[in-house]
Amino acid sequence: MDLEMVKYLADLGKLYFTDEELEENSRHMTSIVELMDTIKEIDITYDPLKDNKNVYLPDLRKDNCEPSMETEKVLKNAVNRNNCFVVPKVVE
Amino acid sequence: MDMKNAKISELRKLLDEKKVSAAELCKECFDNIKANDDTYKCYITLTEELAYEQAEKAQKKINESKASALTGIPMAIKDNICTDGVKTTCASKMLEDFVPPYNATVMEKLNSENIVMLGKTSMDEFAMGGSTQTSAFAKTKNPFDSERVPGGSSGGSAAAVSAGFCAAALGSDTGGSIRQPAAFCGITGMKPTYGRVSRYGLVAFASSLDQIGPMARSAEDCGIILNSICGFDIHDGTSARNEVPDFTAKIGKDIKGMKIALPKEFFDKGIDEEISGAVMKAAETYKSMGAEIIECSMPSLKYAVPAYYLIACAEACSNLSRYDGIKYGHRSEIGDSYEELIMHSRAEGFGEEVKRRILLGNYALSSGYYDAYYGKAMALKQLIREEYAAIFEKCDIILTPTTPTTAYRCDENISDPVKMYQADICTVTVNIAGLPAVSTPCGYDAKGLPVGMSVIGRQFDEQTVIQAADAFEKTFTRVSPKL
Repeated sequence: MDLEMVKYLADLGKLYFTDEELEENSRHMTSIVELMDTIKEIDITYDPLKDNKNVYLPDLRKDNCEPSMETEKVLKNAVNRNNCFVVPKVVE
Repeated sequence: MDMKNAKISELRKLLDEKKVSAAELCKECFDNIKANDDTYKCYITLTEELAYEQAEKAQKKINESKASALTGIPMAIKDNICTDGVKTTCASKMLEDFVPPYNATVMEKLNSENIVMLGKTSMDEFAMGGSTQTSAFAKTKNPFDSERVPGGSSGGSAAAVSAGFCAAALGSDTGGSIRQPAAFCGITGMKPTYGRVSRYGLVAFASSLDQIGPMARSAEDCGIILNSICGFDIHDGTSARNEVPDFTAKIGKDIKGMKIALPKEFFDKGIDEEISGAVMKAAETYKSMGAEIIECSMPSLKYAVPAYYLIACAEACSNLSRYDGIKYGHRSEIGDSYEELIMHSRAEGFGEEVKRRILLGNYALSSGYYDAYYGKAMALKQLIREEYAAIFEKCDIILTPTTPTTAYRCDENISDPVKMYQADICTVTVNIAGLPAVSTPCGYDAKGLPVGMSVIGRQFDEQTVIQAADAFEKTFTRVSPKL
């Protein structure tokens, strides 16, 4: 797998890599994709009608407002201020 | 009695007859942990103070004759299962300081029985690996040989049970993460049917494959724990509404006439002869008990590893997208913009193997590659399920090796991801098909390392799987590791 593709996938995965890390991942991904390519030998197609037998739509609860986790608890593991998550400025 | 190797049923008797107290049992475990866990590194977090508080509550229940099967039993919990107020790291720097504000459903259920939680066990980072050497905090060693891996990803739980650092543990299994370490450490581990146990509060790796299960010293113990943790949960839409039986009810029943299938591909080249030999010997033991052995075939096995990795990584890259350094988890000091902050937080928080799997998942789902990889892997999932269904038309259980080799040295395989992935060949199809399976020891190799065999059953037929595994266990003499 070439560096360009690794960089593209890293961007999709929101991962920052140094140049050395990109090269190392290019090497590993090449051998991993070779292993994945073995499935190309078999000629079969996915049939979506065979799946999702276990989804019970009546189990879904009504779209009513119900008590949820307290804000204080939700924010406990985050950098927070005034009951809000803190993020870098996103608007000019 | 040697409490280090005692089963839950034996401890229950001792507790109920007041021959030992819950606090004494708890102390015995912590004494063992303090004496030896520096070498084996099973635990990431010990919860000693909490454990003694829980032991006191359990003792009260025992004294009032209100104990249930797990009251006062010292247990360890894999560190990807959320525990309210107790750090849950997933063995990742990303969650190094994460303290869940809620309990996983399995923890609510275990706490309602008043178990004694000793601590949180190490694992491969985000359950991605088969060695527990990708843990950011505790690279667990095998109690049978501290130079060797305990397997993974639930390696901390498996080693803790094997070493007598707890009576039983919970693990999670996405592609063999309960059964493979159970095999390497010489204990019994069970992956229940997909949907049998709620995944609510289990940090997600691959949601269509993940399942929480018990790790213990016998199939019966696994059944006792499964009785406690299973059942429908409103918080997990994939948990099953199926009737919940007593999973230990068929234990001791005659297995005469039981049909046991051996898929020939699981005994081909690539599987150590000592392992295939030990499993074949176990088949002979079953035959001597009156079971019928049937040869069968699973041609799709050769494609199982890539199919598994494509599906698992596709789901993982989506599940792990929640780690942005903002809502919870590691937050980088670098990054002036929102985008930069996320990219640096993830780069610093995730280890190499986790990043590789995110790359592979994104590759499988990318435009231009989706049909060739993810689509084909999903087609293979259907084929593997059909092949299992065809085999189960002719048999009651399937018997296979759990691993192609016994526990390898800590410096082997780790730098070669392809070799690591291929080692999952014996376990991944069970997750792909959503079946229940137990791994139990069936021999020891020339180095004295445990060999595990897997008993696989039909969906939701854990009773027969436990019955068959227990029947073999009663004929087999286990060796305990010498610490």
